[in-house]
Amino acid sequence: MAASSPSSDTVVVTPSSLRQAFGNVFSLFILILIGVLAFSIRLFSVIKYESVIHEFDPYFNYRVTQFLTKNGIYDFWNWFDDRTWYPLGRVIGGTVYPGLTLTAGTLWWILNSLNIPLSVETVCVFTAPTFSAFAAWATYLLTKEVKGAGAGLTAAALLALVPSYISRSVAGSYDNEAVAIFALIFTFYLYIKTLNTGSLFYATLNALSYFYMVCSWGGYTFIINLIPMHALLCIVTGRYSPRLYIAYAPLVILGTLLAALVPVVGFNAVMTSEHFASFLVFLILNVVGLVYYIKGMLTPKMFKVAVTLVVSAGLIVCCALVAVLIALVASSPTKGWSGRSLSLLDPTYASKYIPIIASVSEHQPPTWPSYFMDINVLAFLVPAGIIACFLPLTDASSFVILYLVTSVYFSGVMVRLMLVLAPAACIMSGIALSSAFGVFTRSIKFASIGKEVDARDTGNGVTQNDVVKPDRNEEPPKEKASRKKKKEKENVAKAPIATKKNERRLLMLPMETSVVAILLLILLGAFYVVHCVWAAAEAYSAPSIVLTSHSHDGLHVFDDFREAYAWLSHNTDVDDKVASWWDYGYQTTAMANRTVIVDNNTWNNTHIATVGTAMSSPEKAAWEIFNSLDVKYVLVVFGGLVGYPSDDINKFLWMVRIGGGVFPHIKEPDYLRDGQYRIDNMATPTMLNCLMYKLSYYRFVETDGKGFDRVRRTEIGKKHFKLTHFEEVFTTHHWMVRIYKLKPPKNRMRGKTKKSKSKPTSKRSATRKKNPWQ
Amino acid sequence: MAISPILLITFLLFLLTPITTPSNDDILSELIHLRSKSQLGLIHLKDPLLQRILTIPSPKPFSSLIFFDAKQLHSKPDNSLPSIKYEFSLLSSSFIKNNPENNTQVFFFIMEYQVSPSSFALFEVKSLPHIRLVGVKNESMKMDASGYSMGAESMKEFLEMHVNVNVGKINTPPVIPKKMMMVIGAGFLIWSPFLVKKIVLSDTLLHNKYVWMVGSVFVYFFSVAGTMHTIIRKAPLFLFDRYEPGKLIIFYQGSGMQLGAEGFAIGFLYTIVGLLLALMTHVLVYMKNRGTQNLMMAFGLFISFWAVQKVVSLDNWKTGYGIHAYWPSRWI
Repeated sequence: MAASSPSSDTVVVTPSSLRQAFGNVFSLFILILIGVLAFSIRLFSVIKYESVIHEFDPYFNYRVTQFLTKNGIYDFWNWFDDRTWYPLGRVIGGTVYPGLTLTAGTLWWILNSLNIPLSVETVCVFTAPTFSAFAAWATYLLTKEVKGAGAGLTAAALLALVPSYISRSVAGSYDNEAVAIFALIFTFYLYIKTLNTGSLFYATLNALSYFYMVCSWGGYTFIINLIPMHALLCIVTGRYSPRLYIAYAPLVILGTLLAALVPVVGFNAVMTSEHFASFLVFLILNVVGLVYYIKGMLTPKMFKVAVTLVVSAGLIVCCALVAVLIALVASSPTKGWSGRSLSLLDPTYASKYIPIIASVSEHQPPTWPSYFMDINVLAFLVPAGIIACFLPLTDASSFVILYLVTSVYFSGVMVRLMLVLAPAACIMSGIALSSAFGVFTRSIKFASIGKEVDARDTGNGVTQNDVVKPDRNEEPPKEKASRKKKKEKENVAKAPIATKKNERRLLMLPMETSVVAILLLILLGAFYVVHCVWAAAEAYSAPSIVLTSHSHDGLHVFDDFREAYAWLSHNTDVDDKVASWWDYGYQTTAMANRTVIVDNNTWNNTHIATVGTAMSSPEKAAWEIFNSLDVKYVLVVFGGLVGYPSDDINKFLWMVRIGGGVFPHIKEPDYLRDGQYRIDNMATPTMLNCLMYKLSYYRFVETDGKGFDRVRRTEIGKKHFKLTHFEEVFTTHHWMVRIYKLKPPKNRMRGKTKKSKSKPTSKRSATRKKNPWQ
Repeated sequence: MAISPILLITFLLFLLTPITTPSNDDILSELIHLRSKSQLGLIHLKDPLLQRILTIPSPKPFSSLIFFDAKQLHSKPDNSLPSIKYEFSLLSSSFIKNNPENNTQVFFFIMEYQVSPSSFALFEVKSLPHIRLVGVKNESMKMDASGYSMGAESMKEFLEMHVNVNVGKINTPPVIPKKMMMVIGAGFLIWSPFLVKKIVLSDTLLHNKYVWMVGSVFVYFFSVAGTMHTIIRKAPLFLFDRYEPGKLIIFYQGSGMQLGAEGFAIGFLYTIVGLLLALMTHVLVYMKNRGTQNLMMAFGLFISFWAVQKVVSLDNWKTGYGIHAYWPSRWI
C-alpha cells in the first residue's frame, strides 16, 4: 500500500512499485493462509467426533435444505410441513430465514454440477467453516478501507481465530449465524467502500448484500439501525457529503424493497419501529442535502435569507413527521418495538416483563470471564484501536468506532450478541496491533539511522524518504480524497511537515524498549492462539448429539440419541406420531423422519402445554391425552444412569409450569416437597405417579439393585412399579433415550373385562366417553 | 400455602379471649380512617389492632394483605426490602385509586418488626421478605417468592387469585413528574433554535472528537466490566465473609456471577492495557527526551504485563478452566 514516491525520479519509482506488487502478492498469500486457518480450526468437531450436524436447530435447517435440494425452490417456498406440530402442521416457506438454506442448497447444486458428488449433509456441515473464511476476507476488506492493508491482514487473522465466532461456526454448526456474520461484515465493508468512493455501483452491491443479510438472520435490524446512526452522526458532526448520500439513500430504498421480498420479513420492513430510524434519517439526509444544494446555488447573502425560509420550513415538516412517527409508535403497547429489541435498549425490561426471554441462558448479561473466554486478549487491545481510529478521525473510522461501541454495549446486555461484537473487536485490535507494530518496528529499523542523523543533524534525502514512508502508510488511502476542505487543510499541514522532516523522522521510540514491547506483543498474540485453539478443541466442538467422557479407563462415547432415532426410523411406521418434549422435535423429524407433536420452533404454547400436561399427569390421563393426539410412541431422555444432566427429569419443572399455565389442574406445588424438587422417597405422590417419573425410572432398579440416580445423586423414591398404559419398546445402550409405545385400547379393555367379566361393556364407547379431547 | 395448625389454634385462642368484640362496622370505619391518613393507603399494623382484627367473627368483611417489614434490614441489598415495600405500596395505592367506591374488601398493612415482634412470632415469620394474606375466614397464606419477584404486577396476580377483587391497572408514577416534563419540554423548545444554529456552525461539544473518544472508551469499560450484569442482577459491590465478618469478599468464585467491584476492577485492567499501548504508539512518539520515553515505556509495559497476567490468573481461578497448548506428541 505504500504510495509511490512523490518525486518524479523513475529510479526511485520502480523499486517502489515493485515493492508494492510484491506486497500485494504477499498479502494475497497471507489471505489464503488466513482462509485455510479459519476453515481448519473449525474442523476439531469433525476430527474429534465425526462429520455430523450439531445440536437442535441445525437439524431443522438440514432437513429444510434436504427438502430444497430434492424438490426445488418453488416447492420449498410453498412447503407446508405436516411432519411437525401434529395435527396443526407448519408453513415452513413463510416462516424461516431462507438465506442459509439457499446458500447451502446452491453450494450443493454447484458441486454436483461440477461432478463432485457430496451429500447434502457434508455440504451443510462444512458451510459454516467455509463462510468463516469468507468472513475473515470480508474483515480484511473492511479494515483495509479504514486503516490500510496491514491492519486489514491483522484483523482478518484475529477474526479467523476469535472464539466467539468459532462457537457458532464449527463444522456441523449449521445455523443462521454461520453465514450471517459474513453478510454483516460484508455489508459494512460495502457501505464504507461506497462512503469512501461515492460509487453507485458499490451502493447497489451494498443493498444486495443487505438483502442477503435479511435473508439470513433476524440480526439484520442491527445493520438497519447502525448505518442510519452513523449517517446521522456524520450529519450532526458536520461531515455531510454527497458520498454519504450515495452510500445511504440507495441502501434504504433498495434495501427496504428487497427486504420486503423475504416472506418472513414482508411488510415488517416498513411497519415495525425497528426500521423507522432508517426512514427518519433518510428524511433528515434529504433535508440536509437540499440545504447544501441551495447553499451551493446562492450567494452567501441570499443563502442567509433563504436559510430562514427553507430550513425553518424543512424543520417544521420534519418535526411534524417526527411527531406523527412518535405518535404511531407510542400508540402500540410495546411502543412498536419487539420484546428482544426493547430488552436491548432497556436492559431491565426483559427481566420485568418477558420471562421467556429472560429465562434463556443466551439472553443473560455476561460477566467479565465471558469476555475473556470469547474475545480473549482482544479485550485488552480494543481501547488502543479506538484511540487509533480517532487519530485521524475519518468517515470510515467513525463508523467502526460506532460499530464497536454499540455492539459492546449490546453484548453487555445479552451474552448472545458477543457474536456481533467479535468482528468489531477484531477490527479494532487489528488496527491497534498494526499501528503498534508499525511504530515499534520502525523504531528498531531506523534506530541506527536516527542516531546518525541526530549526530550530524542534517537530512539525507534517501533516509528521509524512507523514514517518512511508514508514517504515510498509516494514513488510509481514501482519506486524502475525502473532502475539499480537508485537502486544503492537509496541504497547509504538509508544508511545515516538509520543512521539518527532521522532526518527523524522530517519531520513534527507544530501540531497547521497542524490542521488549514487540516481544511482549508477540507473547500476547501467542497466548491468543493457544487460547483460541484450546477453545475450539475443548469448549466449542461438542456436537451434543454424540457425547464423550474421559474416565480412568479411557474414553467413553455415548451415541444413544442416534441409536434411538435410528430405531424409530427402522421399527415404526412412517406415519406414526412420536411425542417428546419440544427439545427433541427437530432431531426426531430430521433423523427419524417421524411426525412430532411439538418442536423447537415454539410457536404454539397451548400445544406445548398439552404435552407438558401429559408428562405431568398420571399414566391413565396421559394416555388419554396422547391417544387423542394419535401418538403411538413416547420418547423420554434420561440421564440418571450415566450422569447426563440435561435430561427430561431436570427439565420436568418447566413442563409442569408450562402445562399449568394453560391447564390449571396441574399445579407446581404438587410436585414439590416444601418447595424443593426431589425424586427420592421424600417426593410427593403426584411426582412419583406422573408419567415422566414412571417412563424415566421404569425398571431402573434393575440396573444396580438400588436405583441410584447419578444426576440427582440420590436413590429414587419409587423403585418397583409396573406400567399399565404404556409398554417399553426400546431403551438405548446407556439408557439415555427410552421409547415407549402406547398400549392399544383393545389390550387394556381385555384386561378390564377379565377382571370384571360380569360387566361387559362396549370397548369403543367406553374409551370415547373417557376421552376429554374429543 | 397450607394453613398451619399452630396458627389455627392461636386464632382460636384469640377468638376465645374475652375482649370486647368490636362490631364489624366499627373496625371497618377505623381501618378506613387509618387508611385515609396514609397517602399510599397503607396501614401500620400494631399488635392491638391485629388482635382486634383477628377477633372479628368469620367470615370477616375484608381480607388483609400484610407486609412484614424490618427497618434494620433495609440496608442489606440481598433481600431488597425497600423495593418490595415500594411495589407493595404501588399495589395498595393502585387498588384504592382504581376502586374508589368498592375498596373495603382488602386492606394493606405494614408491620414493623421492632414495634410488634410478637405478631411476627404469631405468623411464624422467620425470614424477610414476607408477605402474608389473611383471608375472610382467618385462613392465612404466605406469598411465594414468585409472588413478589415481578413487583406489583405479580402481587396483583396473587391477590386477585386468592381474593375476589379486581385491582385494576398498576399506576406506576412516571420517572419524571409531569410538571417537570413540561418545564423540560419548554426549556428544550426555547433552546432548540440555538442548538440548530450551533450544529449548523459546527460549534458544539459533539464536534470535539476527544469528547467522543472519552465517551467510547468509557462505554467500552462500562460493558466489559459486566456492569449490565451488576445492574440487571442487582449484584452487590462486595460481600462480607460469612466466617470472618470483618473480611470483604471482592472476587466471587464461579463464572455465572460477579460482584460489582470485581467487575470494575477487571474492566479497569482490560481498559488500561489498551490505553497504555495507545499512549506509547500515539503520544510517546512525539516526545523528544529519550530518557523519559524509555522510562514511560518501561512503566507502561510493566503495568500492561502485570494487568494481563492478573486477568489470566483471576480468570483461571474464577472459571476453573485449564487452558493449555497442544504440543505434538510425535513428529511423524
